[in-house]
This record gives sequence, C-alpha cells and structure tokens, in this order.
Amino acid sequence: MITLYDYELSGNCYKVRLLLHLLQVGFARREIDFHPGREHQSPWFLALNPLGQLPVLDDDGWILRDAQAILVYLAGRYDPTQRWCPREDAAGLATLVSWLSFADGLTATAGLARLHDTLFYAADIEQCRRGAHRALRVLDEHLWFAEQEGRQWICSREAPTIADIACFPTVMLSEEGGISRLPYPAIRRWTDRVRRLEGFVTMPGIF
Amino acid sequence: MDRWFPVARSEEVRPGHVFQTSLLGQEIAVWRGRSGAVNAWENRCPHRGVRLSIGEQIENELRCRYHGWRFASGSGQCTHIPSHPTQKPGAALCATAYSSTERYGYVWASLQPRDDVPSLPPEGSVAVAVTPPVEGAITTLRSVYVAASLEAVAERLLLGRVARLDAYTLVTEAYDTAGVDDAAVANIDSVYWLLQPLEPCATVIHGLVGKLIPAAQRLAGLRAYNARLIGVRDAVELAR
Repeated sequence: MITLYDYELSGNCYKVRLLLHLLQVGFARREIDFHPGREHQSPWFLALNPLGQLPVLDDDGWILRDAQAILVYLAGRYDPTQRWCPREDAAGLATLVSWLSFADGLTATAGLARLHDTLFYAADIEQCRRGAHRALRVLDEHLWFAEQEGRQWICSREAPTIADIACFPTVMLSEEGGISRLPYPAIRRWTDRVRRLEGFVTMPGIF
Repeated sequence: MDRWFPVARSEEVRPGHVFQTSLLGQEIAVWRGRSGAVNAWENRCPHRGVRLSIGEQIENELRCRYHGWRFASGSGQCTHIPSHPTQKPGAALCATAYSSTERYGYVWASLQPRDDVPSLPPEGSVAVAVTPPVEGAITTLRSVYVAASLEAVAERLLLGRVARLDAYTLVTEAYDTAGVDDAAVANIDSVYWLLQPLEPCATVIHGLVGKLIPAAQRLAGLRAYNARLIGVRDAVELAR
C-alpha cells in the first residue's frame, strides 16, 4: 500500500501524483499542512524526513524522500513496460538523470519565485527569475531541436519518460512566479503534449 | 505600426496548438483552424479577458478554456456560449482578429488592417542588391528571443556583413567564408534577419535562408545558425 505525504499546491508532490495516475497505481494521500501550518517542519515529520521536504513516499512501510528519487522508484517498481525510466544503456540513463537534476534546478529558481510570490518566501526574486529563464532557454532549445529530429519528449524518441514528468510541473506553474512562457514556443508545444497523455491529472494552476 | 511582421514560423503553428506571441506590446494568439487558414487574434477572450492562448482549437473554432465560448476562424465571431446553448451569440461578440497571412515560411500579422501581402525585400527598402526569397526554396531558422530593444539587436547584427533594408529587416549578402568551418553555413546566397518587436525591451530574430538546405546538412546548418544567433543574443544582453 502506497501512502504519499502530500501537499496539493506543491509541484514536486503533483509530479508524483501525476506519475501514479499515469501508471494507474492506487495510493492514499496524507495531506500535510505545508502552509500556513508548516507541518513539514514539525518533529514528527522531521523524524520521517530530516530534510523537512515534501513529498515523502511510504510503500508498505518503506520510506523514500525526494520527488525525483520517488519517480525513479515508482517507474522501476510499477511500470512493467519500463518505458518511463529505461535503464538498459548507461548513456541513456545518465542523460535522463541529468534532466532530473535539471528539474531540481527549475524548482530552485522558478519554483522558489512562485513560493516568493504566492506564499511570501524570502528570496532574491530577480535572481530566481533570471535563473529560471536561463534554464527555460536551455529546455526550449533542446525541445526545438528534438522536434527537428522527430522526437517529442525530453529523452526518448518514442515515449515520454520521468524526465518529462519531473520538469513539467515547475514549468507549468512558472507564471505564478512572474515567469512568462511566451519566449518558449517549443516548451509550450511540449506541455500541450504532456497534458494530452492518457491518465493525465490536473492540480490547481495546471489544467 | 502599419506593416506586416513575422510572428511565428508556419510549421510551429500546428493544428491543436495555440501559439502565444506579442507584437509591439500587444499579446497575440496565433492558431490554425481545420481549414488550414491562420488567425492572429488579440490574446484575450472578449468575455472575461482570459488568454485565448490557453484555449483549444476544435475543428474550425477556438474554444476559450474559461467558460467554453467558441470563436470562428477568420472572423473571430462568437459561435457558441455553453451557458446559453440555444441562443445565437450577438454579432458584437467577437474575438479581435488582426490581419494575418502566410508567406516565406512564416505567419505574418499586422495590428492595422491590411489586404496586401508581405514582400521581401520589403517595399521601399534601401537599394541593396539582394536575392528575393523564392517560396519553396527557403529554410527558416530557429527564431531566437532577445531581452533587448529591436534597435540594440539591429546594431549588433550590423557588426556582421549585414545591410539594413528597413527598420525591421536586415540581410546578409554572403558570409565571409574565411574562418567558417561549418560547411552547412558556408556558400549561402543570402540570409534575411526579420525582427519582431515583442515589446520595447524584447525582440525576436527570425532568420530566413534563401535556399533549401539539403536534408543531410539541414540539422547541422540549423544548429550552426542557432549558435550564431545565441551569440548575438548573449552579446546584446551583456551590453545592456
């Protein structure tokens, strides 16, 4: 039985919910009062995840933190086709992991800008936005040339991977942090494709 | 500004997708109905002001994502209001449709009504011997967004072997191939640089090569040009 320690407005929590739905894996949600209650900093939660971060996954009592790690686990454990996280060749897997790290970079820039604007987090907002635009430029260029080569997704030619799921939420929520996607037409086409995946689910701000 | 501006590469305005851009501070939703005809509309639903670029193309109509109002390709006329399914929407209920057309591999738009067609070199351009592009014998490059004024971008481009045909159009007659090791870029006849002013401090550089780059070299050519444009972009932004 999977339990997800979850916050509805978190992009990192949403990406786990999204993959669970895409994989058609059932799960229970344990809602954490992230704001304003700061329950993720409470003693009981810190005992679960000393980093005080959401999401956390509990699979039959086995605990895993970190959104990207959870995607890797779910894809490895619950995707019989192994297309969401192909691991047969070292180069392909390493490339995928580089995009998981890229997603973390988006969270640290565009994601923080959103927390600043919506939940009043302390941050150098201009630096966040500059960093986000630098990353979005890299992603847009990557996806534009991917299209030219006949690829629709961040990694593989045929099917989306957890790299797409990892990057998608923060990109889609960027405008809540004052980061327009108008300069990124290839990103906008890619987000349309993600939204059309069978089993796609929404969250507030992503529809 | 009464003139045509390129606002999107034609192949990037695909069925099922609404392309979001801007022209002189006016946000535009560019989309293609089932008929194939392109539309460039004010990016604002006349009902509640929501961006039409988050809407969906359905057959020959664009459906606003907020309340589902539908607007017809071409006229922008509202055709259906889900909360009043039996009533015909009034003629005044229209999305604002700007003049739009397709030529040279781009969608062009004008904020003022126009019934002519865009031409390259542009009418009234300075007397420079350039080859007009020929439909079907064109390669359009990746359009590059620069966070700087159109004038700053033009000045930077003019540092190369580039002539300015008018305020928004520049042309490279031929690259100085000395020192160029990209075979795909060398020996190009002419490259037009078409500048789209998004807003006062944001500009798109559209690049149009006056020949069809052979398939075997196409990707390398696109990458080489993109790298050059990124260089232009970074230099302009650094100088701000």
